[in-house]
Amino acid sequence: MAEQIVNGNEALALGALKAGVRVVTGYPGTPSTRALASLLAMNPENVHVEWSTNEKVAFEIATGASWAGLRALCTMKMSGLNVAYDSLISVAHSGIVGGLVVYVADDVGANAGMAEQDSRGFAALADLPMLEPASVKETYQLVQTAFQISEEIGSPVFIRLVTAVANSKNVMNIPPAEPPPLKPPLLIKDIQKYTKAGSAICLAQHQDLLNRLEKARHIFDEMQLNPLHLSPRSGKVGIIASGITRAYLGEAIDFLENLGLQKEDLSILEIIASNPLPLDQIQQVLNHTQSVVVFEELDPLVEREVYIQAQRCGFKGNIFGKLNGLFSKVGAYELIHFIKGLAAVCEIEVTEEVLRGFHSEELAAPRPITVCAGCPHRGTYMAINQAIRKLRLRKEEVMVTGDIGCTILGMNPPFNTIWNEISMGASIALAQGFVHAGVKTPVIATMGDSTFFHAGIPGLVNAVQHQVPLTLIIMDNGWTAMTGMQANPGTDANFQNGEGKSVDIAQIIPSLSIEHFFTIDPYNLEASTATIQNALTLPGVKVILARRECAIQAQRREGRPGNITVNADLCNLCKLCITITGCPAISITNGKLEIDTELCSRCGLCAEVCNFDAIQLEMPG
Amino acid sequence: MIYNVYLVGVGGQGVLTIGELIAETALLDKIPVNYYPTEGMAQRGGLVKAQIRIGQEFVGPHIPEKNADLIVAMEVSEALRTTQFIKPGSDFLLWGHIWLPTASLLGKQGYPGLDTVKEKIAQAGAKLLYLDPANLPTYQGSAIPDNLYVLGAAVRNTSLGKILNVETMGKAIENRWPKAAEKNLYAFQCGFEMASD
Repeated sequence: MAEQIVNGNEALALGALKAGVRVVTGYPGTPSTRALASLLAMNPENVHVEWSTNEKVAFEIATGASWAGLRALCTMKMSGLNVAYDSLISVAHSGIVGGLVVYVADDVGANAGMAEQDSRGFAALADLPMLEPASVKETYQLVQTAFQISEEIGSPVFIRLVTAVANSKNVMNIPPAEPPPLKPPLLIKDIQKYTKAGSAICLAQHQDLLNRLEKARHIFDEMQLNPLHLSPRSGKVGIIASGITRAYLGEAIDFLENLGLQKEDLSILEIIASNPLPLDQIQQVLNHTQSVVVFEELDPLVEREVYIQAQRCGFKGNIFGKLNGLFSKVGAYELIHFIKGLAAVCEIEVTEEVLRGFHSEELAAPRPITVCAGCPHRGTYMAINQAIRKLRLRKEEVMVTGDIGCTILGMNPPFNTIWNEISMGASIALAQGFVHAGVKTPVIATMGDSTFFHAGIPGLVNAVQHQVPLTLIIMDNGWTAMTGMQANPGTDANFQNGEGKSVDIAQIIPSLSIEHFFTIDPYNLEASTATIQNALTLPGVKVILARRECAIQAQRREGRPGNITVNADLCNLCKLCITITGCPAISITNGKLEIDTELCSRCGLCAEVCNFDAIQLEMPG
Repeated sequence: MIYNVYLVGVGGQGVLTIGELIAETALLDKIPVNYYPTEGMAQRGGLVKAQIRIGQEFVGPHIPEKNADLIVAMEVSEALRTTQFIKPGSDFLLWGHIWLPTASLLGKQGYPGLDTVKEKIAQAGAKLLYLDPANLPTYQGSAIPDNLYVLGAAVRNTSLGKILNVETMGKAIENRWPKAAEKNLYAFQCGFEMASD
């Protein structure tokens, strides 16, 4: 048994293996990706692991396995849960057979730039249990508990991690898990459970669902899952801390002890199960104390329940949290929240000055992220911009809708090509709305290959059905790149897991009765520009497949063949190459244009825009 | 007691490698550690930071303001994003590398001067240790990895050396690059010795 450094995602994966999981499905999404990715890398015996087309598909596969009696895990980020939710709520009502655990990672603090969402609300809405580990070690244990509870009560169970736990690394001692035994799948025919055929069935399922949640509450109480500590003397201060906030309590208490806080006055309820909430324990805290502070990130979900229980048990004291304006619903909590909260409830004076450091980040140079050196998307944004200019249109006149993934980086300078971003595959349908609104200039939608498979196809089919004039540009780099290079349906068959096959977008488009279909190589700026320019003038639905493998992946296999050189005699330092490409490999050092050959991918786009032939690209062959 | 290290830099500088080596060293010496890297969305050229909390099993991943016992900034402008975290009187190691964002390169936006950055670090109450990239030694004709050089300097010159064992860190470097240990250990050693003057 060796100690190793694992992060929250990896601990979750290892815990699931320990629990005997047989089927693992998911869709990549920061910060959840590493859980499934680490299992794929481990290639565990008797376990099927896959990246599915989208989260809904992933959840449905996991459900099938569970209904056949196997333990299954489904992984996703919070936005993915929105996609899976239609099926999830139906399965919640039906119940499950083999333990079914849904891992959702919430990006509290929106580090990866997405809507900041509190998925605990989904557990409440679906009446499903949800466990929230506050550390890497707890994650390993609680995922096993989740499988066990799931089977005991017969419902799917959520595990929710926040970014700071999912990505935190700890030292752990994890024994290798035995491969799960292969047992024959069950085929259970039971329309009362597995269909929604008629009101009677649906109402009975709803009641069963609620009964299962109550059963979970009893089990959690029996296991004393949510630690409760009542102070020796009553009438003092109550602390209710949920999820990751539990991890900061000790530090905050230590800090305030120096300022007169009496540790023995504190009654503390730690909430690990954010659904069902420990109502009895909440009442015990309220009955024992004079005032209470609630710590939880994002929505005041626990806090609202505390108000309800306060009403039921006649609590007359103060409740500190978000609803009295002490804390915000936005962003992650840090130590300062705990100190402020505890100080408020304990009536200790702490000035903001003591806690706040000396800020100077406003003086730092902004560093907007851009695409990598050699990224094929760079060529596509440049070609879109040039095509618009050649049509004598201004960029402000041409709507270019954006989508999720690396392709959205076209919103940033120097391209400033993309206007908006909603959710996976939304760009194509959003574009149709602008056309129906009466926009007369060309409307362009952009998305990546994985996004197209994930949720882009229905929007495109809709555009064809209603013959909406627009141009869809699919930027196909062969990988789900933004989340760290996962295989998607379009990825080369050689890189598909096991027996996987590649699905070719170039064959899908013509089959949708799309007349105007073009393929471009984004490294060829002139031809790409001409093709886009032409497409923008054609009627009906036009699709352009901008196809070139992600430069990072190509380099990992093939290195950096060829040479790029700058001829200083020809370069007049007009900086056009930097202004147009924004390539991180180009810089000006000691008054000379320099290209970092270790970073450069030989895409040649800088050479294509140079008006003085100062940049020379030589490729072998 | 918790010992807090805050790391910041730009993607591609090996900031996370420094963090991983610190975590690995703690692991080898059985010291509890929580290592929380936050990566930007780009492979290179985006802000990268990492927070390391050493000495306590169950701990919140975010280092509170005014609580870092050591800050290592690998890029001049990015250093400004961390001054609020320094514990007054503690070490702030600034590697004087300047990585201009494109807009600064084109003159469309400013870039803070080194003097301003040093002044802000001083105003935050930190003890500044400035390392000039011009003095980076070479190994067999090419520049040594600057992140390991900086790590070596940190172990010798800051309170980090009281928390982690330098020999164990050497072992962590060997474990990480079994085939290129010599070059990387040399870089680490250069940093360590540079600081001794």
